[in-house]
Amino acid sequence: MTAHPWRQRLYHLLLWIVALLFFSPVLWIFMAAFKSGGEIVSPTPVFIFRPTMDNIIRVIQEPNFLDYLKMSFVLSIGSVLIAIVVSFLAAYSFSRYRPTGTNFIMFLLLSTRMVPASAVVLPIFLMYTVLGWSKTFHGMILFYAMFSIPFSLWILKGFLDGVSLRYDETALVNGGSRLHTMFRVVLPQVKPGLVAAFIFNILFVWNEFLFNYILGGQGTTMIPVLLATGVKQGGMTDWSFVASISLIYMLPPIIAIFFFQKYLLVGMTFGTVRGEV
Amino acid sequence: MNGVARAVNPPILQMERVSKRYDRTPVLNDLSLLAATGDLTVVYGPPAAGKSVLVRVLTGLEKPDTGRIVLRGQDVTSLPPADRNIGYVPQSFALYPHLSVRGNIAYPLDLAGVPAAESRDVVQNAAQMLKIEEHLDKTPDQLSGGQKQRVAIARGIAKRTDFFILDDPLAGLDFKLREQLVDDLRGLKTETGASVLYVTSDVIEAMTLADELAVLADGAIVESGPAERLYRRPRHARTMALVGFPPVNILPGTLQGRGASARCVTRLFAFPVEAAPAATSEVLVGIRPEHVRFAHRPEAEEIIAHPIQFDATVALREDLGGEDIVYLAVGDTALTMVDRDHDRRADIDQRVTISIAPQRLLLFDAATGAYLGHGATEAGASVVAAAGAQHG
Repeated sequence: MTAHPWRQRLYHLLLWIVALLFFSPVLWIFMAAFKSGGEIVSPTPVFIFRPTMDNIIRVIQEPNFLDYLKMSFVLSIGSVLIAIVVSFLAAYSFSRYRPTGTNFIMFLLLSTRMVPASAVVLPIFLMYTVLGWSKTFHGMILFYAMFSIPFSLWILKGFLDGVSLRYDETALVNGGSRLHTMFRVVLPQVKPGLVAAFIFNILFVWNEFLFNYILGGQGTTMIPVLLATGVKQGGMTDWSFVASISLIYMLPPIIAIFFFQKYLLVGMTFGTVRGEV
Repeated sequence: MNGVARAVNPPILQMERVSKRYDRTPVLNDLSLLAATGDLTVVYGPPAAGKSVLVRVLTGLEKPDTGRIVLRGQDVTSLPPADRNIGYVPQSFALYPHLSVRGNIAYPLDLAGVPAAESRDVVQNAAQMLKIEEHLDKTPDQLSGGQKQRVAIARGIAKRTDFFILDDPLAGLDFKLREQLVDDLRGLKTETGASVLYVTSDVIEAMTLADELAVLADGAIVESGPAERLYRRPRHARTMALVGFPPVNILPGTLQGRGASARCVTRLFAFPVEAAPAATSEVLVGIRPEHVRFAHRPEAEEIIAHPIQFDATVALREDLGGEDIVYLAVGDTALTMVDRDHDRRADIDQRVTISIAPQRLLLFDAATGAYLGHGATEAGASVVAAAGAQHG
């Protein structure tokens, strides 16, 4: 490798090109948010323009925008927090007591995430109608918690399996209760797993559209639904509306990912590359 | 050692006919064990003898299938671990990575709700005893293996209790550190006056530490008693085989004749015996390596009237510095001996003549392993008396 520095430079250049290519839609959104309507749809892309804050100000003044944004935050954070508490308890049981069929139960839990969302949206809608939970806040937050539990459970179980049983036993013999062992002895050792599960699932919920559209109602709508339903205004596509909402909506996850990238990796590998954190 | 004092001390721990099996495999078989209050009782067993399960059952991490465990006079068989009040040093250090060394040592005290000021003193004392004071504010991952082990021991002994279980706490440590920690542990025991159950797979550690030594094999206590008694006058062939280093030589043999004319015949030699009548004539003859000698170097204090003598070849010699372990081949039979004189005349592949005092040989029933008697000299019982009288 060192014998051909130009070759290595070529590889790096290639990587940069691919990365920028992936980034280009984001760049488009970023620029479009500050362009006037005509500049956005101009046949030859306009790169030099006088930026305007009008689009963003207009979007923020949109009657429902702030409510929907708030709902995005509340539902994402709330449901994932519920999911992580439940998943930690479940993962502890699976990891420590290994009930018969543990692997099969783990598989079943993940099964709703193996099919396209549009395949399960109808049965869930029917269940919610019967329960009277559709269009309700608790229905929505519980649905997203349920939606987040499988991955959280898989990630946390991977981490818990890596914590030696000897820690639990030492705690128990020293006079600790089971709850003490779970929360004061084991939990501090799987903090990276908790962060990974949190970040990983919050991205899912944050960007979720279909269930929010079908199961949610006026009080529980999040931004993705607003994006899809508000895109046509006055018989034409309102590009500056799309771009400026997207820009605002992108910022929180981008900031979060920037700080927690390494946890995303352990999340995607269910804790098996723990050493990276 | 002090038999009288021991008899007075009530037992702190009694295990009565405890059995435990995993799936169909029995791990503990009708195990009974007694530990006297204030004693350092060592349970010594080879790997896979059931030591860790014994500890798990004692601490309450597992329930025995049958049998009773009585601790401080109270039946604790079904008591959860937290209610048994046992100080515990696990085999793996299991130091909490999220706590400092200080936090780790104070852990059992914090759990018991001991006030901070009091806990600080206890931690300080324990750290001082184990010479880890300068590491108190580090985290476990900054420590070496030996330091971690000492922190684990400090955490175990910091607990306010009168009964401690140390599960092979020195396993995997280097020799020098073991020596030092064995000293520390002996000091600790005398300082606190607590009762300690010490589990180990190292026979030398076991013999150095034990007030009372219990030999564990195949899930049951084969024999227990003062280490010296177990070494010199084992009541069971397995005790003789397990207690001592280098390991004992065991030869199969046959008893012939009765009373004064009784003899034992092995494939290497025959010798007269003084033995209780056995159910069968098949016996095992135990020969300590240090009782096997070169004929050309008789021990000064041991002029033997009628030694057993035979020829052997030196197969291998291991120089341990203070003594050599010599592996002999007699035909296709292997014998181990200890040579304290570094006798270079008997080097590898040399033919040597071996001499064994017959009264040093111990006889065990081949079927049950029970002690039967010992060898005697042709001349009569006079020489034997010294070695034999102790057997009763």
